[in-house]
Amino acid sequence: MKELGSMWQDSRMVVLCAISAALYAAVLVPFKVVPFIPGITELRPANAIPVVCSFLFGPAAAWGAAIGNLIGDFFGGVGPGDIFGFAGNLVYGYVPYKLWEIVASGRPPLPRSAADFLRYALVCLAASLLCADLIGWGDNMLALRPFGVLGNIIVVNNMLAALVLSPLLLLAVYPRVERGRLLYRDILGVAQRRPGGLMQAVGVVLLLCGELGAWLVGNLVSTGRLNLGLLPASLMRPPYDAAVALGVAPFLLAAVGGLALL
Amino acid sequence: MPIYLYIEGESWLHRLHPVVKVWALFAAFWSVYWVDQPLALVPLGLLMTVAAQAGGAWANFYRLRYLFAGVVFFTALSWMVFYRQGTPLIDTPLVRVSRASLLFGFGRGLKLAELLGTSVLFLSSTKIEEFGAGLTRLGVPYRVGFAITLAFRLVPLFIDSALTVVQAQRLRGYEFRRGGPLARMRRYVPVVVPVFMEALRKANAMAMALEARGFGAGGRPTSLIDRELRRSDRMAVALLGGLAVAYFLIYYAGYGAIRPD
Repeated sequence: MKELGSMWQDSRMVVLCAISAALYAAVLVPFKVVPFIPGITELRPANAIPVVCSFLFGPAAAWGAAIGNLIGDFFGGVGPGDIFGFAGNLVYGYVPYKLWEIVASGRPPLPRSAADFLRYALVCLAASLLCADLIGWGDNMLALRPFGVLGNIIVVNNMLAALVLSPLLLLAVYPRVERGRLLYRDILGVAQRRPGGLMQAVGVVLLLCGELGAWLVGNLVSTGRLNLGLLPASLMRPPYDAAVALGVAPFLLAAVGGLALL
Repeated sequence: MPIYLYIEGESWLHRLHPVVKVWALFAAFWSVYWVDQPLALVPLGLLMTVAAQAGGAWANFYRLRYLFAGVVFFTALSWMVFYRQGTPLIDTPLVRVSRASLLFGFGRGLKLAELLGTSVLFLSSTKIEEFGAGLTRLGVPYRVGFAITLAFRLVPLFIDSALTVVQAQRLRGYEFRRGGPLARMRRYVPVVVPVFMEALRKANAMAMALEARGFGAGGRPTSLIDRELRRSDRMAVALLGGLAVAYFLIYYAGYGAIRPD
């Protein structure tokens, strides 16, 4: 994850981060006017932008997604939950390019064949799940919105945009950016990583198991369908704020740990 | 298209130091966090209404009135699904309405509306440059603060350029409103692509312009907005601190909670 820090030393990456953020916010803000469920979410076709930018600009897009979402939130109400919105969108912009490097063996992220599209969909699902886990967990912990609502809406919203819009945008934009040598690999001067290595495999397993576990436990606990026997009975009562916080945290830690190993 | 909420003015709210405004955001978040009882949230709501009137931000509150109402209504509704406590008035497999769930849902809706109100107050009285200066003063690295303010500045430019592309495409007979929601979503791809490419064309030039002006040269950059905290700022900090403490005491005394039975 060190490129998330080192990218700030490069002026072009800083500019690309601002451009990713502004593009994300520019599509996000107009849809704030017609919220899907006010206070919870709005229709977010903008969620296609972080995925596209992630494949193009790597770490700059991760920060761009986080900042773009923050700017969008300024137009729909900022709150303490935005800390988790920031973290959730950071991983939503970080996971796609990072996982793609591992699962696609250097191929461009253009879902032209069925196998590539499946890989692409799985990578987007992994990014969406971790984003939903972090935001759902944080908002439930802060007693703002239930995990069972937010955790699922985010996955649906992100996947809809990533599967319907992002592939079309990538097909149009990726070859041009590649020719213009503005891909993150060209700017940061890093070689295409070869998949493999035990740590990387452990990282992928931890990431996927952690985020899936967090999503399941978050949903089951917040709806009262799972009783965490280790926790005192006083915490296992609606609105389950503390129960969700404590039950989901270990899975999230595992997922973030896995992300660090990639 | 007016996307910024900032209202030009010289009110006491506008004159507050940016760091104090960020502190105000935190104090409001802290205060609403501790209480669920709608009655306990009313004083903060009233305080915000007075601040909006006196600080010249009321026009934005009025503009967003339906959003405020929607936030309260839908949040209350969603919590009625999950907060299944108290003697039920209506009991269905999906929604369980009880006095406790109504109070709880309304309280959480009010919380979110007050958080929205805080951000509207903040945005109505704070320029982007002030926000950037405030972030730097709070210890956010200069480059991160710069990226945030640059992104803020670019948003209206990108929206304007998207609107221009939409008009140009319409002139050529392209129909954006044909088909279902997904088809319509896809129809906007030819709008996003030119905006995207235009932005990327600017990226290299922007980076060079930044470096020509010493961006990344090292040392601590200076800022045009570099003022000290005044007496009024210190008073505001103390008052906001008092508010945060008062809300914690409401929680501590047990008046902030909702008891199902």
